[in-house]
Amino acid sequence: MLQKPWYKIFVWFVASFFFFLAAGVIISILRPGPTEAEVMKFMEAMMKAMDTSMMGIAMNLENDSELKNIILFSSSLTLPIVIISSIIGFLIRLVKRGDRNV
Amino acid sequence: MNARFDFIMHWIWAIVWSLLAISGFSMVGAKHGWLLNFDYALVDYIHRIFATIFVILTFISIFYEVFRNIKNDSKKLAWFVIGRSGYQLFTFITTLILIMTGAIIWICNEFDIVAAGFALIIHEYISYIALSSVIWHIYKKCHALIWPKKKVEG
Repeated sequence: MLQKPWYKIFVWFVASFFFFLAAGVIISILRPGPTEAEVMKFMEAMMKAMDTSMMGIAMNLENDSELKNIILFSSSLTLPIVIISSIIGFLIRLVKRGDRNV
Repeated sequence: MNARFDFIMHWIWAIVWSLLAISGFSMVGAKHGWLLNFDYALVDYIHRIFATIFVILTFISIFYEVFRNIKNDSKKLAWFVIGRSGYQLFTFITTLILIMTGAIIWICNEFDIVAAGFALIIHEYISYIALSSVIWHIYKKCHALIWPKKKVEG
């Protein structure tokens, strides 16, 4: 797999991504201070982030009983399915542990 | 295709960590927001979701190593993200510090701003160190970037 073209492209992409990120961080640290507009944007966005954060969503969810019921109902279906399928998966791995391809 | 667990975990880890890194670094301050176009709300959301996935990946890795030790399998897994020595150990320690400080920031942000602030400083500086270590890791493994030349017949 290590020689396949798509894998090489993926590795190149990830390597380039990290190099660009490091360059971006160094530029951010060494550039002149933020303008007033940038500081305002930062503070506004941090306040808005509170609304879409887990705390903000939880607060909005408390006020919306229909959405709350949907979430409670769907998670009571999903969670047993996930747990049961994980247990079945582990049992199959246990039964077929001699098989190299499991 | 018999893809090994440690190989797959390595690349899932790389993808999740890269998304955490870019979202995290664009939230450091007003000077850094340009990285993701100042959309801090979306960036914060992405960072929290991938942080949760990252914690789950860490638990899976730890349990895998514990089970390997129980089975007395001491073979060094070259691709695995955590381990007993070298870069694997370094990654393990930085991961734990990032998770613990991240959890403190998330939980204490609403009621204990001092603790959250302290955790934020550690979280920030450890992530600079971790990013530098990733660049070093790519340098050490740069042979993976060599594109195989097609052999010419005759």
